Amino acid sequence: MAGWSEKILDIDLNTQTYKTYPLDMEMAHLFIGGRGLGARLLWDMVGPEVDPLSPENVLIFTNGPLTGTGYQTSNRFSVTTKSPLTGTVLDANSGGFWGMQFKKAGYDVMIIRGKSEKPIWIEIKNDAITFHDASELWGMRVFALTQKLGQNNNKRNVLCIGPAGENLSRIAAIMNDRERALARGGPGAVMGSKNLKAIVIEGKDRPEIEDRERFKFMLYETRKLLAASPLTSQALPEFGTVVMMNIVNNIGALATRNHQQTQFEGAEAISGEELTEKYLVKNSSCWACPIGCTRISRTEKVEGEGPEFESTWAFGAQCGIDNLPTIIEANTLCNDLGLDTISTGSTIACAMELSEKGYMDSDLRFGRADQLAPVIEAMAYRQDVGSDLADGSLRLATKYGHPELSMSAKGLEMPAYDPRGMQGQGLLYATSNRGGCHMRGNMLGPEVLGLPKLIDRFQVQGKSSFVILHQNSNAAIDSLVLCKFTNLGVADEYFARVLSAVTGIQYSTGDMIKVGERVWNLERLYNLREGFTRKDDTLPPRLLNEAPTDGPSQGWVVQLEPMLKEYYRGRVWDENGVPTPKKLAELGLANLM
Amino acid sequence: MIDQRIYEMFCDIGRDLYTANMISSHGGNLSVRLGDRVVIKRRGAMLGNLKPNDLIETRLEKNDSGVALASTELLAHRTIYKMTPALAIVHCHPRMAIAFSLSRDEIVPVDNEASYLLKKIPVVTEEFASGTPEMANKVATALQNYKIIMLRGHGSFATGQTLDEAFFWTSTLEEACQIAFYAKLLNEPFIEYRKMSESYNKF
Amino acid sequence: MPLVKLYANLRKLAGTKELPITGATIGAVVNELVKRNPPVGEVILENGKLRQYIVVTLNGHNTIDLETPVTEQDIVAIFPPIAGG
Repeated sequence: MAGWSEKILDIDLNTQTYKTYPLDMEMAHLFIGGRGLGARLLWDMVGPEVDPLSPENVLIFTNGPLTGTGYQTSNRFSVTTKSPLTGTVLDANSGGFWGMQFKKAGYDVMIIRGKSEKPIWIEIKNDAITFHDASELWGMRVFALTQKLGQNNNKRNVLCIGPAGENLSRIAAIMNDRERALARGGPGAVMGSKNLKAIVIEGKDRPEIEDRERFKFMLYETRKLLAASPLTSQALPEFGTVVMMNIVNNIGALATRNHQQTQFEGAEAISGEELTEKYLVKNSSCWACPIGCTRISRTEKVEGEGPEFESTWAFGAQCGIDNLPTIIEANTLCNDLGLDTISTGSTIACAMELSEKGYMDSDLRFGRADQLAPVIEAMAYRQDVGSDLADGSLRLATKYGHPELSMSAKGLEMPAYDPRGMQGQGLLYATSNRGGCHMRGNMLGPEVLGLPKLIDRFQVQGKSSFVILHQNSNAAIDSLVLCKFTNLGVADEYFARVLSAVTGIQYSTGDMIKVGERVWNLERLYNLREGFTRKDDTLPPRLLNEAPTDGPSQGWVVQLEPMLKEYYRGRVWDENGVPTPKKLAELGLANLM
Repeated sequence: MIDQRIYEMFCDIGRDLYTANMISSHGGNLSVRLGDRVVIKRRGAMLGNLKPNDLIETRLEKNDSGVALASTELLAHRTIYKMTPALAIVHCHPRMAIAFSLSRDEIVPVDNEASYLLKKIPVVTEEFASGTPEMANKVATALQNYKIIMLRGHGSFATGQTLDEAFFWTSTLEEACQIAFYAKLLNEPFIEYRKMSESYNKF
Repeated sequence: MPLVKLYANLRKLAGTKELPITGATIGAVVNELVKRNPPVGEVILENGKLRQYIVVTLNGHNTIDLETPVTEQDIVAIFPPIAGG
């Protein structure tokens, strides 16, 4: 029994009971864990008739066979559910320490079903599962709650929602280990709809490894390679992810003021260089990670983890704000309230544009740093203008008659990279299974940084091949579960070898990427079953029709049609974007239809 | 219509391969995958001197280029694209690597660069080492787990996301073999400078 | 004169965020920069060639060809190896 614990914990909140049963190992071999296993289980459990905020939706927490083994970055875990924001299959992924503890508690999967009549929190100590009344805790913010429930990074880990999740904000996050987040797509609202306030874990198992010699070898080689890569050994630890601000702005791909421009004149003021110089206390890391990209930042008002590039962008360039301390404070506030920073910032930006254009009656305006904190609070509590914003930019923009001003794909707010400056990224956003997301296959590597080699970011022909490969590869990594920053120094072939060493099952590099392809196709089937079609593989009209008038990306709009056609063919899907029977048979998914 | 940038990439890598003595005048091949199509050098064209109509575009599933026998190795390339995540393939005849392939089943480097990047290069054998389905399958199967492999006596097959990535592995392999050859000639006791190198052949 | 903008740890090494540098091509500009700032050269060059992962842009466009001509109004930006989310 190596790699997997081979056990599922299935919790019913209706009756406050639980049962454990074996994990189907054939399924595990095909989908591995994390995102893959979550998607496969969700396929069986939640169909199109289920409202995401109803008791019939489930939360499926998964770790992977590598989790907790001590391999570099083997701390991550997933939650899978149907998204209340987009209605698609949703997998959200987080780091920190909770995932490691979850593995030590002896389970591969934890399913949360139903709804508790009253607020409840769950305590798990391997076989001992206790349901506690959470009436006193309901209403508490994340930081205070995490401390109160006894957070100790290595021994006892708290996962919880804040007021945003309690109030069913569709952009609410689930937080773990104080400031790590299962952020996108509103999993916090699902947890809130179940009256589940927190899950606290203590574990004592030691994950088993089949081939210890080979594992040691991979551990050593990975350490060597991460140290040799200047990205993972110098850039990320020193500057964190915010270092991207200047580079993305420089090439004219930094979405600004709700994607009205592709460069922000205040980029320097909110850059990684500025953060490091003025507000950085030190760096930090998740469990078993030698990279250390986490920031600990301090302003006059707060000290906490982050901000990340995307968060800084969302409250910065996207809102036209160049006041870094206020942005740092906004990030910390979102963490404490349990909100996804990307969706929160981009929704505020949408509201700013709607208000400036007179479609919406509010005083929100681009550049108003002073408005951030109050509106974020209002969103978490659904008060005043916050009630309009709490469910994301698409619902907001639709309400005020201009859905095209929501910078989202399938309802999920897009991140910082403006695809008019990166054609491949546009295809990525349009085809991502959970909506506008860069973590499903970031083209930043090939199109901007030259990883592994630079390709022309404006080239369209052949771009889909890269997007497909990156989507498949990322889906595989999300199923192991590892951090994608390891991939910056260590190639996929190492992960396949580690997986083989831990589980004793021989996965070639191609086998592992195929797992990713399988997961991708399954997620696609899920969305098709929900009623999504080819016409949902699209982007806001602004990105397809309005070219930037200055900057390096001047004159470019996203050439989606030709890329999408090539993409469908490359994936062996029909011209409507439906996986062909031949492809499904090849991936072992034919029996699902 | 093949994008000009893709054509230029073929020319650059082709010329680099030829001038580095890794291919004869008309041998070897380069290809890239564009969605469900493959762009590959026409049979009889010179890698070191490619002209625009030396590149053929065909469907991945079968050869519909309208050019009979677009390349002897087209089958191998298509098979590799179907069986692996490769987006680009470099196939050439690196001399020292071929010499090494004649007497071993795997090439394990002694130099630092290849120790970091490659660790082990498997050698596969096939009776008809050109153009057959058996050879295509064997090569593609090996490439499911390694970025670059040798076909004994014939040459190297390397995959990557771009042609220059596949070229990088090819060039690193040839460099590794040349260094190993010099070490053999020097014939002095090897001072092991790497930790855990005894595991490379198990990579 | 073309303007060179520096980012991340290159700023500390050069003691500045940006500086005008003469040169007719990208390569010439880089060489002049390195002559004035050997510590920067340590980071961005190896055997006289740009190291892998160094990103150089000309007015926001990635440039790997050092022969690319540079004019008076151009901005050359140099990034050391960096990555993000």
